[in-house]
Amino acid sequence: MRFGSVHTVAGRQARAAWMFLAPGLLLLTLFTAWPLVRTAYLSFTEYSLLTPPEWVGLENYRALLGDDQVTNAFQNTVLYAAVVTPVTIALALALAMALNARFFGRGIVRTAVFVPFVVSLAVVSIAFRFLLDPNYGLVTHWLSAVGLAPTQGALAQPGTAMAAVMAVGVWKNVGFYMVMFLAGLQSIPSDLYEAAQLDGASRLQKFRAVTLPLLSNQTMLVSILAAIASFQVFDQIKVMTNGGPAMSTETLVVLVNRVGISNLEFGYGSAVSVVLLLLILAFSLVQYLYFGRRQVRY
Amino acid sequence: MTLDLSPSTHRSLRRAWTISLTVAMAGIGLLMIFPIVWSVLTAFKPNAEAASASPTLFPQTWTLENFTAIWSAIPFAQLYGNTIIFAGSVMVLSLAFDTMAGYALARFDFRGKTAAFIAIIVMLMIPYQAVIIPLYDLVHSLGLGQTVAGMIVPRSANAFGVFFMRQFFLALPKNLEEAARIDGANEWRIFTRVMLPLTTPALLTLGLFHFQFNWNDLLWPLVMSNTIDGATLPAGLALFAGQHVVEYGLLMAGSVLALIPLILFFLLIQRTFVTGIATTGIK
Amino acid sequence: MRPTRRTCIAAGAALALTAGLAACSDGGSTDDGGPVTLTMWHGLTGPDGPAFQEVVDNFNDSQDEVTIEAEALPWDSLYQQFLTAATSDDGPDLVAMSASRLPQYAERGVLGSTDEFYADDTYMDTSVLAEGAVQASVYDGVNYGVPLNLGPVLMYWNKALFEEAGLDPEAPPTTWAEFEEMIPDLTVDENSDGTPEQYPLAMGDHSTVPVFPSFLWNGGGGVVSDDGTTAMLGDPASVAAAEHWVGLVQEEQITPVGMSGADSDQLFQAELAAITINGPWMTAGLTEAGLDFDVTVPMAGPEGQSILGDVVSMTIAQRLDEDQKDAAYKFFAYWESVESQATWANGSGFPAIRTDMPEDAVTNEWAAVFGAPEILENVRPYLTGVTGSGEINEDIFTPALQSALNGTGEVADLFPAAGEDIQAVIDDA
Repeated sequence: MRFGSVHTVAGRQARAAWMFLAPGLLLLTLFTAWPLVRTAYLSFTEYSLLTPPEWVGLENYRALLGDDQVTNAFQNTVLYAAVVTPVTIALALALAMALNARFFGRGIVRTAVFVPFVVSLAVVSIAFRFLLDPNYGLVTHWLSAVGLAPTQGALAQPGTAMAAVMAVGVWKNVGFYMVMFLAGLQSIPSDLYEAAQLDGASRLQKFRAVTLPLLSNQTMLVSILAAIASFQVFDQIKVMTNGGPAMSTETLVVLVNRVGISNLEFGYGSAVSVVLLLLILAFSLVQYLYFGRRQVRY
Repeated sequence: MTLDLSPSTHRSLRRAWTISLTVAMAGIGLLMIFPIVWSVLTAFKPNAEAASASPTLFPQTWTLENFTAIWSAIPFAQLYGNTIIFAGSVMVLSLAFDTMAGYALARFDFRGKTAAFIAIIVMLMIPYQAVIIPLYDLVHSLGLGQTVAGMIVPRSANAFGVFFMRQFFLALPKNLEEAARIDGANEWRIFTRVMLPLTTPALLTLGLFHFQFNWNDLLWPLVMSNTIDGATLPAGLALFAGQHVVEYGLLMAGSVLALIPLILFFLLIQRTFVTGIATTGIK
Repeated sequence: MRPTRRTCIAAGAALALTAGLAACSDGGSTDDGGPVTLTMWHGLTGPDGPAFQEVVDNFNDSQDEVTIEAEALPWDSLYQQFLTAATSDDGPDLVAMSASRLPQYAERGVLGSTDEFYADDTYMDTSVLAEGAVQASVYDGVNYGVPLNLGPVLMYWNKALFEEAGLDPEAPPTTWAEFEEMIPDLTVDENSDGTPEQYPLAMGDHSTVPVFPSFLWNGGGGVVSDDGTTAMLGDPASVAAAEHWVGLVQEEQITPVGMSGADSDQLFQAELAAITINGPWMTAGLTEAGLDFDVTVPMAGPEGQSILGDVVSMTIAQRLDEDQKDAAYKFFAYWESVESQATWANGSGFPAIRTDMPEDAVTNEWAAVFGAPEILENVRPYLTGVTGSGEINEDIFTPALQSALNGTGEVADLFPAAGEDIQAVIDDA
C-alpha cells in the first residue's frame, strides 16, 4: 500500500500469505489461545470445577507469593530445565554425528537410540522399577553378583530422585533430537567438508567452521523445543515419583495438576499456570534473541 | 613430535577408528534399548514370574498367553483402530495446516506477520495439561463433546509444527519461488509443486512427532470419550495398571503391540533421510 | 437414553408412522414407570471388572424395568473425567468412587443423597451390610453412597520365611512387642553390608494403602479424628506411635525406605520380606506365584487392633429424578443380595459386604477369610467424611512421613507441624 507500482504485487502476496496462514492460525486461536485466555481469567477466580467460578481479584497471586510449595516447584522446574536441556542437546548432537558416520549396524543403532522416544511412559516407569529397584531389580541382581549392589533406590531418596527423573528425561527424548540433528547433518553438502579437508582443517576445525554454523537452524529448533519440553515436564514425574519423595521432584505442571485437579482449586492452579507460562516466555525470549542474532541463512 | 603416517598405517588407523566407533555405538544402542528389550521379554513371561528374588532377563517359561488374552481382556482391536484414526487424522491435518502456516510466515512479507509469529511462539509454550479443562468446556459448547471430531479437530493445528516448518522454509534458498512466479505460476501451484517436494524429510520428521505424541497421549482422548470403546490404546492399557494390582504381562504385551506402527514409521523415515535428501538436493 | 419429545416429533414426521408416535408417547416419559437406562462408571480392573460385569448382566437379564450400562475407566481418569462431566448432562448417572473421595463431590452438590435407600426395608434390609462400609460414605450427616466393595487390610505372612528363620510358621506376631522380638530372626544380611537382603516387613510410604496411619490408630493416635473435625497428627499418642515405627525403620531397617505400594507388593511376592499388610486383591497373584502364605488380623498396638477398610461406594448424580433414583436403588439392592455378593466374592476374591452370608455361599477361600464376620464388623475406614482427604493424605501426611523416614527431619517436629496444616485444610472447607 506504500508504493503505487508494487501495490498489486504486494497486495497479491499478502492475500496469498493470509490464505496459507488463516486455517492454522484460526484453529490455534480457537483451540489453544482461547483456553489460555480462559485460564488467565480463571486465575483471578476461585473455581472448584464443580461450582461456578467466583471472582477473587489478585487473591490467588497474593497467596502464591507466600506459598512454599510453589517456590519448591519453581526451583525444581528451573533445576530440571537447567540440567536436562543442555545435556539432551549436547548428547543428541554427539549421537547424531556418530550415527552420521559409516559403520556396521548403523541403522540398527539409530533405531535403538530412537525407540525410547516412542515408548509409552507407563511402560518406561515399570521397566525402570523392575530393573533398578535395590531389592528385586534385575540390574541390581547382576551388579550384586559382582559385588556392586546399590543399597538405596534412586527414587527413594530426595537427593537422587531428581537425578533419576532427569536421566530418564534425557534417555527418553534424546532420540528425537538426534533425528532432527541427523536431518540437518545430512543436508550439509559434502563438498564443504571436502573443501575444508583440502585446506588441511582438523576434525575440530571442521566441526566449528562447517558443522556448527550449518546446523544452527536445527540447533535453535532443538534448543527451544527441548527447553520448553523441560519446563513443561509432567508425564514422567507423574508416573515415576508423583512429585515425591517429600515433594523433591514436584515441578510446576505437576503442581498445577495436583492443586487444580486433585484438590479442586482450579483458580489457584490457573495462577500457577500463568506463572509457568511467563517463566517459559522469558526464557525463550532470551534464547530466541541469542539464536536470532547467530542465525545463518544460506 | 611429528607423525609421519604412511598410507598403510593411515588405513589401519582408520580401521581401528571404525571398529572402536562400531563397538562404542553398539554399546550405546544396547544401553538405550535395554529397558525396552526387558519389556518385550516380560510380555512373554507368565504373571507369576513378574516378581522374583532372583530375576532373569529371559523368561524361565515362555508363554504367549498375554498376547492371546489381550484381545478379549480389553477391546484391543477396536482400540487399535481408534488410535490409528485419531493419531493418523491429527497427523495429516496438522501437517497440512502447520506447513501452510509455516510457509506463509517464512516466505512472504505482509502486515501482521510479526504479530502472528509472536502469537504462535506464545502458544507453543502453553503446557496442554494446564488448559485441558477450558478446552474441554469449549469443545463441549461447540457441540463436539464425546465425538471423534471433538477429539481430532482441536489438535489439527500445532504451534510447534508451524514453528518447525517456518524454520525449515527459512532455510531454503531465496530464489526458489522467484523463477516460478516469473513463469506466471499461481501461489498454490508454487507451494505444492515447487516448495512441498523439498519438504519431505521435514514433513516426515514432524509427522512422526505428531503421530507418536497423539498415539501415546492418554489424557486428551480419554477426556473426550467416556466409553472404553471410544478411547485409544493408552486408555485401554491403563486398565491393566489397576489401583491395587498391575497385570504386568498384559500391559507389556499390549504396549509391545502398540509400539510396532511407531517403529515402522521410524524405519520409513530413516530410509527417506538418505534417499530423500540426496534427490531433492537442498543446497 | 429415552427419546426426547423433539426427536419423536421429527421421527414421527419423517416416517409418518403412527406406530412410531405411539412408541414415543410410551417411552418419552418415565412417569408411568417405563424402562430406565442408567450409565455407571467404575474403575474395577483385572479380575474385578468381569466379576462386577457378570452381576450387572444378571441384573439386566433378571427384569426389564432397569438397564445398567457399566463403563470401566482407569480410576485416575474416572475422577478427572467426572470433574468435567459431573456438571454437564452427558455425565454418568451412577459413579463408583473411593469413599474418601466422595465428600469432595458431595460438598459441591453433584451427588444425590442415598438416605432413602437405608430409610426402611423398601429395597432391602440394610442392617446386614458391614457397618464400616456403609458409614464410609456419610458426609455431614447424610449418606451419599452404597458400598460396592470393601477391602479389609490384613496382615500377610510368608510361612516359608518364618520356618527358615526358626519361627513357628503358624504363629505370626499378634502384637507390636511380638513383632519386635522377631526382627532379628526375620532380617537376613548375609554379606553384612548393613543393608538386609531380606526384611521383616514390606511397607510403602506413598501411593499405597494407608498402613502407617493404621499403626497410629493402634498406638492411640491417628491422622484425623473419626468425626473428621480434628487433626490428630500432633497428638502425643500419634507422635509416640510414629516415633516408634520410624525408629524401627531407621535403626532396625525393618523395611526398605521410599517404596510405593507396588514396590512393597513386589518385595513380598519376591519373598524378600516376611510380612506385609494389604487388602484382599493380593491373594490371587501370591497364589499364582506359589507362595506359602497366610493372612490374619494385623498385630495389635498398645491401644488397639483396628482393621483398616478400603471402601468403594456407588454414588448417584444429584440430577437423577425419582424414577431414576428408584431404578438405581433396585440395582443397589440387587448388588447387595446374597446371590450377587457370592458371585462377586468368588470372582474377585473380595469379601462379601453382607455379614449374614450362608456358610457355603462363598467358595473362594480368600474371600471367606477376608469376609469373616469379626473382621467385617470391625473395619475402620481412613479419612472418610473429610472433604480434603486427598490433600491431607497426599500433600501433607505423606511428605511428612517421607521426611521422617529419610531422616531429613524429626517426627516430633514434622508431625505436629503437619497436624496444623491438616487442621487448616479441615477448617478451610
